[in-house]
This record gives sequence, structure tokens and C-alpha cells, in this order.
Amino acid sequence: MRVEQALRLLPDLEALMPLRGLLLASARPDERIQWGSGGPYLTVGKRAVEPGELASRIDQVLAVVSAHVASLYRAYVEALERQEQGDSGSAVTALLSAGRLEERADRAPQAAAWYEVALALAEGLQDRRPEVETLLALGHVYLGTGQYPEGARHYQRALVLAEAEFDQAGAIDASAGLGSVALERGEWGGAQAWYARALRLVEAGGDRLRVGRIEHRLGLLVRRQGDLAAAGDHLRRARECFEELTASREMAEVLDAQGQLDAALGRPSAATAAYREALAWVRRGEERDAGLEVGVRLHLAELFLATGRLLEAEEEMRRAEQLAITSNLTRRLVQIYVLLGKLRGQQADETGFVFFEQAIELCRTLERSPVEEARVYHEYGLFRHRCGGPDEARAHLEHAREIFRSLGVETEVEQVQAEIETLTA
Amino acid sequence: MTRPGQQPSSGITAAPSGPGGADAVRILAVGSEGGPGFLPGLRAWAAELQVELEWAADLPRATRLLAAGRWDLVFAALGERPDEELAWWTDALRGAPGPPRLVALADRPSMGLALRAEKLGVLDVVALPLRREVFASVLARVRCAATEVALPLPAAAADPVGQYALVGQSPAMLEVYKLMARVAGSTATVLIEGESGTGKEVVARTIHEHGPAARGPFVAVNCAAIPENLLESELFGHEKGAFTGAVARKIGRFEQAGGGTLFLDEVADMSLALQAKILRAVQEREIERVGGGEAIPVTVRLIAATNRDLKEAIAQGRFREDLYYRLAVVTAQLPRLADRGDDLLLLVAHFGRLFGERYGKRIDAISDRALDLLRGHRWVGNVRELRNVIERAVIVAADATLRTEHLPDELRAEDTGADDRPQQGLPALAEVEARHIARVLTHTGGQIGAAAEILGIHRNTLTRKMKEYGL
Repeated sequence: MRVEQALRLLPDLEALMPLRGLLLASARPDERIQWGSGGPYLTVGKRAVEPGELASRIDQVLAVVSAHVASLYRAYVEALERQEQGDSGSAVTALLSAGRLEERADRAPQAAAWYEVALALAEGLQDRRPEVETLLALGHVYLGTGQYPEGARHYQRALVLAEAEFDQAGAIDASAGLGSVALERGEWGGAQAWYARALRLVEAGGDRLRVGRIEHRLGLLVRRQGDLAAAGDHLRRARECFEELTASREMAEVLDAQGQLDAALGRPSAATAAYREALAWVRRGEERDAGLEVGVRLHLAELFLATGRLLEAEEEMRRAEQLAITSNLTRRLVQIYVLLGKLRGQQADETGFVFFEQAIELCRTLERSPVEEARVYHEYGLFRHRCGGPDEARAHLEHAREIFRSLGVETEVEQVQAEIETLTA
Repeated sequence: MTRPGQQPSSGITAAPSGPGGADAVRILAVGSEGGPGFLPGLRAWAAELQVELEWAADLPRATRLLAAGRWDLVFAALGERPDEELAWWTDALRGAPGPPRLVALADRPSMGLALRAEKLGVLDVVALPLRREVFASVLARVRCAATEVALPLPAAAADPVGQYALVGQSPAMLEVYKLMARVAGSTATVLIEGESGTGKEVVARTIHEHGPAARGPFVAVNCAAIPENLLESELFGHEKGAFTGAVARKIGRFEQAGGGTLFLDEVADMSLALQAKILRAVQEREIERVGGGEAIPVTVRLIAATNRDLKEAIAQGRFREDLYYRLAVVTAQLPRLADRGDDLLLLVAHFGRLFGERYGKRIDAISDRALDLLRGHRWVGNVRELRNVIERAVIVAADATLRTEHLPDELRAEDTGADDRPQQGLPALAEVEARHIARVLTHTGGQIGAAAEILGIHRNTLTRKMKEYGL
């Protein structure tokens, strides 16, 4: 049975989300379909799923779910005990640990719910540091889910409190967080100011890991502003910090950014080498970070796409797809399908619309991220425009613009608006 | 002596010369040099056997060295997750110049690891500690592979069909050409049957281009590619607001193909409900857009294709018999690539030149070994798979000859190298069983139930054996 058929038999209940994940992760491509004329359009929905295999893996999934729920219950009971003992600070810590468990399981809304409870408790404490910690955690979650105004509000509150409490680390993280929110919203000046402030604070303390992280973010910022030489300097400084600490994950991230910079500078060989080294650092890490690996592979595929190496681009996307499916990375899967759709658009292949439809389906049923959905509609609109469907192109672009507007991402709103106007002209 | 960062004059494709010569085999060894049991004598053996050797203590350093120069062999010590690391290495080397072949070193490698390595095109999996004779044997295989002989590619006459072409002179293809000539002049509905990648769409286009509707459009719909819930609107179109996402009126493929040919590819993948609507369209010569009440007349020639056995699908109740007889007025059966004899060489020549032109290269020969590998391959994806393999080979080829090193790992893995491999005696029964199970699992895409059915054993037995062999 195909995944798209199997999913239709599964009600949209939260309790069944792990089963949905299992369904996708156990889906396998059929060799016959792969080489058929439908092969180039194969998506996870067209993969095959075998009920027997699903049955054999249910216990494994239930054990993971049960361990996760048990950890949450234990964290809650610990919070309760600490509260009863009058140690509310430790109760906040216990609630935060539950939220972090949810974040690690890629359940951002649930993490936010734990953090909100922790915040209500922390607000009543005389010691304000747990409140700073909780506000930072909330800012981080909202930043990750694209809820930028919420993210900014929490980071701002964290900063005010951290400064009042002389909490240096809290002030650094809050400033860097505000910089990241501004960066995502395209507010370059604001991002520059916040990062510069965070860097001044962190350099005084000599925390090389934090210095590296902020340099990395500054590199991303100035690259988006178009100052590629300065971006290179920031990334080099970030790499020096991470390499001396042998921080594998951070090295992989900064090399990924270096690859994008080299690509923007028209140096495809250097970009490829940076991406390949990034993958080596991912592999070197303690735990394999599949999300990061897929991200690097996507950038590598984009590079191939931009340089007309379509066959290699597709191969890289398919490798990323396989990893995203087996690791249950729905958001990444959405990005992969958008890129595959772009590839088909570049080949003037109208049937490429199936990738955008699959991405939208995933956004609706599994990922539920408005910013991702807006990006899909944006690219879908451009694809339709390229393949000669002006009415659909306009409708998709308008839909994307409205979602971006509701999220307060003005740079994206302006970009999509300009594209709509081009269609009219 | 060539160093990383410099571009050596050639790799293993030329006969090796003396120590330190431009053509010396270059080996990159990856792993902690002082680690327990890891390659203790490698430096001495390398000097003795006249090869260049570099060390990289970890993966990031290895990646930098790989990007900086051309290597012939990589000796990589696998850690605690050998399967994952093996996959990572084959992927990393695919992107490296050359690309180099991998020799994986592992503590007590399982049979499953060896089989997976073979599938991934790994040159060898070797148990630690490495012995001198094993090292020498691996080296001998690499040097032997350098003695490939270039065979000139023949001229391949191709009849262009849109962006594709019909290539082949085998008796099986001549029968197809004759049938096409007979049906092209009529407006009869044609059902084209054949395995994946045999060229069903090319044949359909040819029939269209030589038929009475040649001036009209040729519209192809891939029924297997389009999600079931969208296929109906794709075929028949929809009115604005007919369903969520119907943002504007859409003209379906039936209407788009008006006055021309509608090619329904992978027709067996349609749901029974949609089959009924297709049947109505074929019988009544009119369609209705989704969300619209108006009957719209359509004049199209229908050509359908499938890679499945439709009669079996009818017997299983998955395909309508009445639709089958409507579609199969004339049936064309396309041959598998394996049944087309020397067409393979003609196709290699055609694709070699086609992609050579696309990528700005001149390709006019193929090595004897590479051709043997192509001839011996199973070609599940037939011509489509061959086209893909040749495109990739052309991309990585450094001169005008396609060689084994340019072929994908899976194909290179089929190179038994019987003439240069040390005689290892007859395999044990368990090894044969493990190989066969691995092959069947590959065939079923890893589906245990289907594999158990093919093997004629219970799925629990298969699961136990997979565990036993580390598959």
C-alpha cells in the first residue's frame, strides 16, 4: 500500500502522531517505480508501506514514546515535590527540563506549553535568574517556529531582567536572540546592533564558544546584506573559535555557511569542499545530527542546481530525502520537495507541481509551520509562473504574501509583492 | 612526487611507474595512527610496494585532503557504527576527484557489512589488523584495473523524437518499428506494454508524430506521479472553487490534447473510480470538469502505457476489464534492454555523444572492462537506467574514454575481477544464502513480507536469518 493511501486511513489525532512518523519512516521506494516514468516524481506519498513491517516496529516506537512520556511525568512530579518543599527555583528547573525534552523530540508547541507554566512560577520568585532562563527558552522556541513577534517579546524581557540582575550570560544570550529575530525578519540594522552588543559583552568574558556563535551569526547577517568580504572575515573568526574547541556541530554549521558564501562568490569548488568538510564534522560529532546533515546536503544540491549540474543536484536531494524520511524530519522533507519542484521547473517540466503539492500536504498534516507553508506557496507560485499558469501563480503568491504578512516578515512580504507586480506587468 | 593540492598527471588508469613517479598509486589512510591494531606496518609496506601514502587522523582532515588532490585508494578504519560510516564514506568519495576506491577496515566485519559494502561498490572490507599480503592483494587489484583497453564507439543512427530518440537495430526493436509503422496511420487506441525504462513514451510520441494528428498537441500524463486526489482534476480540469486549492479554472489534459494525442502513462496506477471516468470519456468522447456540470466534447487519440500485467490486475479486481479492451485495440510490447543484444553498445554510443555534447566533452570510446560490466548488469530500469549511468559517466570522465572508474558504485561492485582476485575457494553455504537473501531484499526494496514470499520461507524465519547474517 502507498503512504498516501495509508495516511488517509489515519485520523488526525495527536496521540497518533508517533504512528504517522513511523508510517513515513518505514516507507520504502519500490525499485520498479523508481525506474518507471513516475520515478523522477517519486515523493514519500508514493512510497510503499507494509503493514507487517509497521506491526513489527510498533513496540519499538511505543517504547520511545513511553520513555518520553515517563520522563515528562517524572519532571512534573519533581517540580511538584520541589514546590511542596518550598524550593520554587528547582521546580522551575524541573519544568524547564520537561520543555527541553519536548524540544529534543521536535515538539515545539508542547515545549512552549511547559515553558509558559515555568514562567508563571518563575515570575513569583525573588531570584529573577530562573525567569531569565525561562524567557530565553521561550524566545528560542518561538524563533524556531517562526513566531517572531513572540520571540522578540520574550528575549526583550529576558534582556531587561538579566541586566538588572547582572546576569552576563543571560544578557548575551538575550541580545544574540534579539539579533536572530531581527535577522529572520530582515531588519538588518537591528540585527547588527544586537549582535554587536552581544559580542562586546561576550568578548569581555572570553567565552570562545559564544564568541564563535555570534561571529557565525554576524557572518550570516552581513552575507545577507551583501558584504561578502566581511562575511568571510566573521566566518573565519567563528571557525577559529570552534576548531580550537573541537566543537563538531558548530564547525559543521559554520562550514555550511562558508559553503553558501563561496557559492555566492561564484567559487563552486570551494563551496563543494566546504560542504563536504561540514558533512565530515557532522559525522565526527557524538550523535549524528540528521537535521544538520540534511541541511548541508540541501545547500550542496542548491549549488549543483545553480551551476546547472542537475543530475548531481537531484542525486543529492534524493540522498537528503532518504535521510529526512528515515529520521522523521518533516520540515526538511518539505524543503527538499520545494527544491525538487524548483529543479523540475528549471527543466520546464510541468509535472514537477507534484512536489509542491506533496510539500503543502506535509505542511498541513504534519509540520504545521506557517512560515514553511508560506515558503512553499511562494516557490509554487514562481514554478507556476515559469510553467505558464499565471492565474495559479498569482493565487499562490498572494497566499504566501498573506501568511508572511501575518508573521510580520516584511522583507518576504515586499519580495513576494514585487513578484506579484511583475506578473501583472 | 605529487602532493595534495597538486593535480597529478593521471590516476590509476595508467600503468604504474616506479616509486614516486607521476603515476604512482596514491593512498589516503584515515584513522588514528597510534590506535589499537590499526595499520601498524602500513608506512613500511607502502614504501616497499612503491605507493604514496598520506595519513589523516580524522574525517574532517581526510575531507580536506580529498578535496585538495586526486587519490586512488582510501583506507578507512570504521568505528562503532560501521554501517553508517560505510555509507558516509561511499557518499563522501563520490564527490571527490577521481573518485578514489574505498577499502574499509573493521574489527571482526560481519557478513552483512561485507555484503552491504559490496553493494555500495566498496573495493574491499578487511579485518583488522591489516596483513601485508592483504594490502598487497588490494594494490594488485587496483593496478590490474589500470590495464583497461579502449574500444571505439560505433556510429549510432538515431531517429529523433522530440527531446528523445529511437536507437536500436536488434530484431526485437525491428518488430516494434514495424508495428509502429502499421498503427501510426490510423487513429486506433494503442496500449504499450513494457518494463520500466523501455521507452514507452518515445514510442507513443513516434506514433503521434507519424499519425494523422501529428499537427495537434502530444500531451503526456503520468498517472503514477500525480497524487490520487489530484489526478482527476489534472485529467478533466476543474472550475474555480471546485475544491480547496482550486484557485482558478483549470483546463485538463483531455482538453489540452484536443485534436492531438493524449498519452496516459502508467495507466494501471489509476483508482477504479477514475478508470470509470476515463472509460466514459473514451466511450462518449466527452468530459466534465470537476465542479462543472457541462459536458465538453473532446477529440483525442488515446495511447496508454503500463509496466504491469493488466490482465493480472483485472483478475485481481484492480483494473476494469471493459477499459482494458477499450485501450488495447492495438498492443505493442517493448523488449527489455537485456533482450536487445548489441543495441546496448549503440545506446552507449548515442548517450555518450549526446551527453558529451551537453557537457562540452568528446566521448568516442569505452573500455573493455566497462563494457563488460554494462553487458553483465541486470538493468532493472532498462534504457532509462543506462541513460542515467552514461550521463553520470560522461560528467566524471576526464578524457574521451568511458572507463569502469566512471561507472556508479553499484555497477563497479559487480566487477568480480576474477582474473586478478586471489583464489579464495568455494563459498560456504551460509555465504551463498546470505547473498541471495540480500539480493531478494534489494529486489523488494527491503520489504520483508514480499521477500519472504519470494524466498518461500516464513517472515519470522527470514527476520531470524537477517539478524544472524547481520543484514
